[in-house]
Amino acid sequence: MPTSPMPPESKPINDVDDLVRRFKLLGYVTDRALATPVYLVIKLGKPLLIEGHAGLGKTEVAKVLASMLGTRLIRLQCYEGLDVNSAVYEWNYQKQLLAIKIEEKIERTVEEKEKHIFSKEFLLERPLLQSILSEDASPVLLIDEIDRADEAFEAFLLELLSDFQITVPEMGTIKGKHLPYVILTSNRTRELSDALKRRCLYHWIDYPSYEKELEIVRLRLPGIEEKLGSQVVRFVQAVRQLDLAKPPGVTETLDCAQSAMSLGKQRLDVQTVEETLGCVAKSMEDSNKVKAAGIEKLLS
Amino acid sequence: MPQAERFRSVSSIIEFCQFARKNGLSNGVHQTLAALEAAKAIGLVDPHMLGLALRAILTSSKEEWDLFTRIFELFLSTSQSTSGADSNEGNEPSFNVHRPGAGSQALMGLFGNDASQTDSEGKAVSGASAHQRLQKVDLADVPDDDLLALEQISMRLFRKMSLRLSRRRKIKNLAERVDVRRTIRRSIPRGGDPIVLAFRGRKPRENKLVIFLDVSGSMNSYSLFLVRFAYALQKYFKSVNTFLFSTNVVEITDLLRAKDLPDALRGLSQRSAGWAGGTKIGDSLRDFNRQHGRRLLSPNTVFIILSDGWDTGEPELLAGELRNTRRRVRELIWLNPLLGLEEYAPVTRGMSAALPHVDVFAAAHNLESLLALEKYL
Repeated sequence: MPTSPMPPESKPINDVDDLVRRFKLLGYVTDRALATPVYLVIKLGKPLLIEGHAGLGKTEVAKVLASMLGTRLIRLQCYEGLDVNSAVYEWNYQKQLLAIKIEEKIERTVEEKEKHIFSKEFLLERPLLQSILSEDASPVLLIDEIDRADEAFEAFLLELLSDFQITVPEMGTIKGKHLPYVILTSNRTRELSDALKRRCLYHWIDYPSYEKELEIVRLRLPGIEEKLGSQVVRFVQAVRQLDLAKPPGVTETLDCAQSAMSLGKQRLDVQTVEETLGCVAKSMEDSNKVKAAGIEKLLS
Repeated sequence: MPQAERFRSVSSIIEFCQFARKNGLSNGVHQTLAALEAAKAIGLVDPHMLGLALRAILTSSKEEWDLFTRIFELFLSTSQSTSGADSNEGNEPSFNVHRPGAGSQALMGLFGNDASQTDSEGKAVSGASAHQRLQKVDLADVPDDDLLALEQISMRLFRKMSLRLSRRRKIKNLAERVDVRRTIRRSIPRGGDPIVLAFRGRKPRENKLVIFLDVSGSMNSYSLFLVRFAYALQKYFKSVNTFLFSTNVVEITDLLRAKDLPDALRGLSQRSAGWAGGTKIGDSLRDFNRQHGRRLLSPNTVFIILSDGWDTGEPELLAGELRNTRRRVRELIWLNPLLGLEEYAPVTRGMSAALPHVDVFAAAHNLESLLALEKYL
């Protein structure tokens, strides 16, 4: 489980190593390779695109960044068919219809009524609009799994990232006061448009090394037995060498370790692995592949 | 230490950006400017950290990411006094990200006629009987003289099919939905009663087509025709993704976006590299499912595979992968040119393993059979 968020240090960040340290305090193990682009996000105000396989902590980066800066995290989860209404704003139709009904008796011109109906009171602010309306400080805007949205949405996003203003036809143009720090994640199921990629800083997140993964496990599960921790990490690293359709990520390693702990085990044996196989193998074919490779062999 | 001094000044940053571009990265002026800003924020003291920052700025994909380290190291080892042009001399390898492959002989053979002739040269073949004959001729046996005529007829007929299919879709969409926003607008002067309804068209179902073509040995000629089929259908389907396979899989979707069909076909021979040895249908399908499955297979997809089923791989693998694919798409069509032969029965291991997972098993040996596909699309 993640450690409780510490109150943000009020001093500004000195340099990249300082950022690595603060992230670690918040339960996220990283190194200069990832901290440098994140540092540039803060200093240059450019968006950052993080690509990589599932379960490697891409989304976490945004959360930890928000905690560290002491600012709000606004999250937009992308999916195929995501459109402007769900991402930017939508009018609250029911409320508008009711208001029209209520105002029937009131003496007002049509223009005045229209202005009231299309005012902020009736505007549902979705994540992208929320991100530029922040009053006090720049929030962190997480655009998760942008590869699931389509090209039309990417084009719209590009415009937004360039100008940071949104036009609501009935209300005019809304300009951001505090520009958000933008982090995009992608599972690389398709190629993103060149224009979007060039607009962003880029980071490829890969499976961690044994030492790094062990550090993560120790940090996130502080009560874990030394032997168990290293066994789990070694096991998952071995499983990753198999040709699975969905190789396990760091999330899966933590799941496996946690399951073993809650079952009261102090060591990882064949039986425990079989009981918790669902943590690392996410389909029948993958389970079979793991079993075929020999759990005993993987554990050694 | 020479390394630490390599990035002494602003101009060295600019130099590096140019160097990177020469060696395979696709960075532009904006990135150079960003690199300068970053250098200001981070400082030039630590080349390793500077390298990390430059990598974040100048790369935009995993491939470029991997390439970057070599480029950076190479740059660090060259001496400082070179300008952008000079740094090319000496034994500096250039990293070509795209290596053009050797063309397949069989594909080239069939291109010889088409690519060089323009539309105006070939006049329409006379007579309805000639049309009939050409529609029935087996695609592997087309005599050279008829080749161009066959191509013209087929493109015309494919386009008509495409148009019919899109008309069919428009007619289905006459039922419309109420546009709430515009309705409210219109109701304001009427005290809020939505007397006048505003409509918006129903969202058309978006069909995707994936075409998987076997280009090994004798399958070549048939596959080529199906490529024309794919090209013509792009108008109707939201997306048409075309792949060639033999022992491995190659995507040719981008080639088919060319305005001109001969251009598209010319690009094909370059794309299919090193086809040799037996066909591995199961393996190719597995690679496809892994790399492109998530993106392309959806309940709106129609998956067409063209192959004679002669597989040198494991039939269990083929069956398994086909089942995986079938599960994720609306319809799976297997086209086998051998069905055009009267004596053919699908008894090979590959074909019989595959059959249970196929929705439509049809012939594709001549133009007539391809046109018959219309009812399945």
